[in-house]
Amino acid sequence: MKALSVLVAIGFIVGALFGLSALAYAVGGLLEQWNLAWLSNMLILLLGFVMIIATFLTLAERKWSAMMQDRIGPNRATINLPGLRGRPLGGVFHVATDAIKMLTKEDFRPKVADPLLFGLAPILAFAPVLALFAVIPVGPVVNVFGHRVGLQVSNPNFGMLWVFAIASLAVYGTSLAGWASNNKFALLGGVRASSQMISYEVALGLGLIGVMMAFSSVRIPDLIAGQTAMLWGSDGELGALGKVGIPAWGIFLQPVGFIVFFAAAFAETKRAPFDVPEGESEIIGYFVEYSGMKFGLFMISEFAEVVILAAITTALFLGGWTFGFGFDSTLTRYFTSRDLGWLLGAIYATWFWVKVLILCYIQLAIRWTFPRFRYDQIQSLGWKILLPLALANIFITGALILLDPSLRSLAVVGVLEIGFVLALTLKRAEPAGGHDSHDAHGTSDAHGHAPAPLPGAAAASHH
Amino acid sequence: MAYKASKNPTTDLRERLFIPELLRGLAITTRHFLRNLFNARDTNTQVVDRKGANLVSTVSYPEEKTPYPPGYRGLHRLVPRDDGKPRCVACYMCATICPAQCIYIEAGEYETGDPAGESRVIEKFPTQFVIDELRCIVCGLCVDACPKDAIRMDTGLHVPSEYTRSGFVWDIPKLLQGPPVSHPSDPWNKRPGSAPPQHQHREAHTRIGEGLVPLKLPGGEPHKRTEVTDQAIPVTRFLKE
Repeated sequence: MKALSVLVAIGFIVGALFGLSALAYAVGGLLEQWNLAWLSNMLILLLGFVMIIATFLTLAERKWSAMMQDRIGPNRATINLPGLRGRPLGGVFHVATDAIKMLTKEDFRPKVADPLLFGLAPILAFAPVLALFAVIPVGPVVNVFGHRVGLQVSNPNFGMLWVFAIASLAVYGTSLAGWASNNKFALLGGVRASSQMISYEVALGLGLIGVMMAFSSVRIPDLIAGQTAMLWGSDGELGALGKVGIPAWGIFLQPVGFIVFFAAAFAETKRAPFDVPEGESEIIGYFVEYSGMKFGLFMISEFAEVVILAAITTALFLGGWTFGFGFDSTLTRYFTSRDLGWLLGAIYATWFWVKVLILCYIQLAIRWTFPRFRYDQIQSLGWKILLPLALANIFITGALILLDPSLRSLAVVGVLEIGFVLALTLKRAEPAGGHDSHDAHGTSDAHGHAPAPLPGAAAASHH
Repeated sequence: MAYKASKNPTTDLRERLFIPELLRGLAITTRHFLRNLFNARDTNTQVVDRKGANLVSTVSYPEEKTPYPPGYRGLHRLVPRDDGKPRCVACYMCATICPAQCIYIEAGEYETGDPAGESRVIEKFPTQFVIDELRCIVCGLCVDACPKDAIRMDTGLHVPSEYTRSGFVWDIPKLLQGPPVSHPSDPWNKRPGSAPPQHQHREAHTRIGEGLVPLKLPGGEPHKRTEVTDQAIPVTRFLKE
């Protein structure tokens, strides 16, 4: 019964995504005769998709975390209407109560705060996040009402560079918030935020170089088109499945790049385990002086970043809107021949958003699984692990692409890396006591084994 | 050399690589998430006895209530006799022992020839019996002190909330509730000239081991009595497998 209602809810979400995608294509097709499809894309993609998903992620954060921790989660808000009375519906009404609370709370500003910068900071934190989404294609370019329409606000030839440029702007909002609050704790939070984000900026960019090299483009639609190619596939079509094979998805070609990019982008979103800038519960963060909707803007920009990070990852590493392993050629032929371009686009866009939602889940699960890094651990992870890893990855990728332009050897290496990690993950843990990890007196060496003959001798060897 | 706080005890390649361990952690949270997402919550208030795949152990309090253990000291009641009057004989024992001094009693005496005096078997009765439930510390000493089994804390209820402090001052009309109680040792069953002795309990005791009648509890379910055995109870019984 519960499983059934959950499945119905999932179906409803997918249906809503499909309906909104179809609407976006239809409106875009109508507006394209005046070359205005970018306008409808901007409104529907940013306000319709990103903002609504981000809003519901605030609920999902609480509800999903509750489920991961064996709690019930928010279930108290109900609407007193016939049919809805006494039904929390998984807590969806908490979204409305949250919004009302944020909007009606006192908008407090400390007397000593800088009035202009204090108001500017949330905007500077929020605007770049939405601007990031401009270059991300959600659906393919198809024929709608005789016009070529794609679900992308803008397709500049600098593509990914826009993402890098705008992503680094978000740091201004946080550091300004810390500075303008005129509060020592907020300032420290802002400093932590800026140093963390600047450290991870490098790894963020370098992590994606491999993908760009593999497909020799920085335009995201080109990157997605490159991922539709099959690395190994059937020679012809296999019935309704179409061409079947392993697609050249970024995650197969660039698993290391994926890890580096995902970790770095996670640090950019300032969410746990990289939430030292905020640390709401223990260490005070940069928005300590903010209340009401100004705080809400920081909050919602964080969740919008989650959506956009998921969207970028989907586009670059998970094949964008394509199914990849089959069906693509059949679907395209079927709908294009019947002049149902909008339907094809809507199916693909829905699939894109489903991938995005799954990645959003993974990000929330990461946030609720791992403890916060210490500050020096954050810096050493960024500079000592991710950065060298990304650099090495670039050189290896470049060499492999030079050796084999068909990308197959790159994919072999990538799949081997994935297999190695998976094998290690699935390997049974060594039984406890199989190796003595460390003794109680801390006399063992840095790696814990090889107990010293005498405690005094071991202590001496440290000096 | 300074003491290094980050003595890394891991020697395993998996733990050093970090990512496999992260994936295992994610698998644990996701397993909990999926189990709790797709399975209905067992609302059995005895959390230890819950079955099913859902792991949530919360008891949603106002809607679901855990049964109280036997011997739980709830709201006081003045125990009535068969004729509906309190069994209390205004001996002041409870008021005297009460460490919080929350019981106030005024004693009255039956007039000679008063039919309520039960042919002079009972001479004294409380005209006022007041408990300030806000001052009560629920120690149960009054119940122990009472020689007539006239005050009990077996209702299994909490003190209901009120808007004023005076609402928490309970007097005889509010305190006198519950089923009547009579004992073979009651004076009106023993004195010559009184009604024939009824050597039977008319109402169950709530003391452990005497539960002839199930105790009324908020959960609705009759509560199981504690079995006293010599065997040690294994601790693992209370851990859910």
